[in-house]
Amino acid sequence: MDFKLITLAGVKVDQPIYSATIPAVDGEISIFPGHEPLVTMAKAGVIGVTYEKDGDEVDYFAISGGVVEVSYDSIQILVDEADHSDDIIEAETKAALERAIKMRDETDDQVEREKAHRLIDRHVVRLKVADLQRRKRR
Amino acid sequence: MASTRQLKSRIRSVSNTKQITRAMQMVAASKMRRAQESTKASAPYAAAGNDLLMRLAAHGATNDHPLFVRRTIRKRLIIFVAADKGLAGAYNANLFKRYLELLKRDEERGVTNVTLTIGRKASQFATRLKGVEVIGSYDDLPDFPAGVAFKTILSTVIEMYSSKQVDAVTMVYTNFVSSMTQLARSERLLPAGTTLAPDFTEVAPDSPEQDVKYEPSVEEVLDGVVSRMIGARVFQALLDARASEHSMRMIAMKNATDNAGDLVDDLKLAMNKARQGAITQEISEISSGVEAMAQ
Repeated sequence: MDFKLITLAGVKVDQPIYSATIPAVDGEISIFPGHEPLVTMAKAGVIGVTYEKDGDEVDYFAISGGVVEVSYDSIQILVDEADHSDDIIEAETKAALERAIKMRDETDDQVEREKAHRLIDRHVVRLKVADLQRRKRR
Repeated sequence: MASTRQLKSRIRSVSNTKQITRAMQMVAASKMRRAQESTKASAPYAAAGNDLLMRLAAHGATNDHPLFVRRTIRKRLIIFVAADKGLAGAYNANLFKRYLELLKRDEERGVTNVTLTIGRKASQFATRLKGVEVIGSYDDLPDFPAGVAFKTILSTVIEMYSSKQVDAVTMVYTNFVSSMTQLARSERLLPAGTTLAPDFTEVAPDSPEQDVKYEPSVEEVLDGVVSRMIGARVFQALLDARASEHSMRMIAMKNATDNAGDLVDDLKLAMNKARQGAITQEISEISSGVEAMAQ
């Protein structure tokens, strides 16, 4: 099955996979080959993909919401932002999350608070991915 | 005629300026190349989004979507994109002109407007104008503006339009045609009818598309797709603006470097003339002195 992650910065991932787990708005869905055609919305969360049937290898991506398009032999996801778990440095993300929380608590400005909320959401997802990646390594 | 010493110091100062403008030209050139590359980056996203939109349109879903519906325009939101810095030739001036034109046209038609500025020069210009209400300013966006600031801009725009605070959204920015040609223009972003412009008739009603499931509903998916496509449009405009800015700055700096070179040549000529003149005068003074002594 063809798996494509497309961001505003270009095509982030384009590779064959076996299955994918996607955080859809109605709950997490797993997509295996031959899934019926579907278009749905993804919320901020973690995408997990496997490469072989019953394979152990799992890759994680942190996404910040997007549109998922599934056909019988492909998955195409338009995302606002996507990070592969290898690109996420846990300590940095943690620090960034704390900064964002501090910013939210201290600011009086509506725009700043909105910004802080977005940053918090983003970093929480990224931390989750980093956590999954660490467990995978064990 | 100026003395040799004065000319010498002018030559030195012009050469220094030339060095600076040449450095700025180099910097702008390398930034331009990167910016030019990235103007193409969002193309796959836009293409895939358009594709989806077209199929959704085949369901007739776009007909009464709030972001597509035209309303009588009473109030307009202008997104005014200019540079953070000057020294880019006519880049900012062209945008100011376009912006003023838009303001004037609106005034004639009795449309009020509010402005959201991107770039320091834009906010400086707009806040100085009488009768212009600036609702937000974003300065120092990065060259690749995919971050939080961009999303905040986008959600503000969509929120203002859907809550009917404004009836139209227009962007004033510079379209990057090529590294030689950049056009300051105003473009309507919302209502989305003409900007997103998929050819609604292309998908035949009996195509296999009918089997596709939309979850949670066609409307919600459409919401997501449309807001993302508008995002892609804004994003593209920002990238275009940035690439144009760097191109124009490069060309402006190249002209400045060339002019400085010409000026140095002229000054050198003048200096040589002055020096030669001084020598000639000295010789004639000496020889007339010798002659006077001989008598």
